[in-house]
Amino acid sequence: MVGHITYLSDDEMASKFGRQLRHGRLNYTFGVEFEIESYLSHQADKFSDYFDANTYLRITKALDYFDPAAAHGGNLSLALEPATASFLVVSFTTDWRFSPERSREIIKALLDNRRNVTYAEIDAPHGHDAFLLDDARYHGLVAAYFGRVGAESGA
Amino acid sequence: MNTNAMQRADFAAIANWIKPAARVLDLGCGDGTLLRFLAEQRDTIGYGVEIDDAGVLACVTNGVNVIQGDMERGLSGFADDSFDYVILSQTLQAVRSSERVVSEMLRVGREGIVTFPNFGYWRNRLQVMSGHMPVSDNLPYAWFDTPNIHLCTIADFENFCRDHGVRIRERIVITDGNAVTLMPNLFGALAVYRFERA
Repeated sequence: MVGHITYLSDDEMASKFGRQLRHGRLNYTFGVEFEIESYLSHQADKFSDYFDANTYLRITKALDYFDPAAAHGGNLSLALEPATASFLVVSFTTDWRFSPERSREIIKALLDNRRNVTYAEIDAPHGHDAFLLDDARYHGLVAAYFGRVGAESGA
Repeated sequence: MNTNAMQRADFAAIANWIKPAARVLDLGCGDGTLLRFLAEQRDTIGYGVEIDDAGVLACVTNGVNVIQGDMERGLSGFADDSFDYVILSQTLQAVRSSERVVSEMLRVGREGIVTFPNFGYWRNRLQVMSGHMPVSDNLPYAWFDTPNIHLCTIADFENFCRDHGVRIRERIVITDGNAVTLMPNLFGALAVYRFERA
C-alpha cells in the first residue's frame, strides 16, 4: 500500500478521496473506515493476485540496490561517460517516486559529458502514474522527439 | 522571441562573434531559432533553457537541445565555466533579478552575450515626451501587458557593467537592421553586447 501511494500524488489522492468515509461516520475501529483505505486495500488485493509476494519483495530490493554511479565512486558523470546516444528525459512535477530532482542529476551528468539531451518537466497532477496516462504535453513531446529521430535517420 | 532568424538582426551579430564549434547556452531560448541558427552557421554545441511548455516542444521539433526550467531560480544545474558563451537574447529586460542572472551567466560561461531594446532610442524618448509609454517594433507591448519590467538604455547598461565587475568586449548597436555608430544611445534601437568577468 505504501508502494502504491508513491505512484499517486498528494493532490490526486485529496481530490479523489479526501477524508470521505466508507460508512458515513467514524466507528473508531481498526477496520476500513475511509474511502482511501478501501481503495488501497482493494489495490493491495489486486497486487497480491498479480504478483508473487516474494518476487515483489525481491524486485523492491533490486530497486534499492540499483545505483548507476556505485561502480564509479558515486560519480554519475563518470558512469554516463561511455554513453553516445541522444537523450530525452521527462519528469512530472508531482512524482515523488522518481522526483524531478533525480532527473536533474541525470541531466547534469549528461551535460558534463556534452551529450545531446533535452529535459522536460511536465506540470501534471497525477504523480508517478502520469507516465501511464494520456497527458497531451507528454505525448506531444515524445511524438515530436521521435518525429525528429525519424527525420534525422531518414526513416 | 519567436520571430524568424531573418528578421532578427541581432542573430547575425551574435553568430559573427561566436567561434566555430563553441559550447553555447541560450537562456530563455523560446522555440530554439537562435540555437538552430548558430548550429547551422557555427557548428555550435548548444543548449537552451526555457520555462514554457510550448517553447520546449518547439525546440524538440527544431532539433535543439533544451532544458526546461526557470533561469531566474539560478543555473545550479550547470557547472562553472561549462560554456564558452551564455546568451540572453532580448530577455534581459524581462527578468526579475537582472544582477543575479548576469552573474550566473558569467559563472557558467566564459563570456556572456546580451541583446536588449534600447530605451534611450530617440523614438522611445519622443513617445515618452509626448506623454506615452513607447510602443514599437522592438517594444511591441502596451504598458499593461508587457513582460518588460527592467527596461534600460545603453548608458544604463554600461554603468551596470562597470559597477558589477563586468568587462564589455564588444558592442553592436542596430537600427532597422543597420549598424549605428553615431550617438548610439540616441540613434540605436537594439543593443548587442559581448562581455566577460573583469
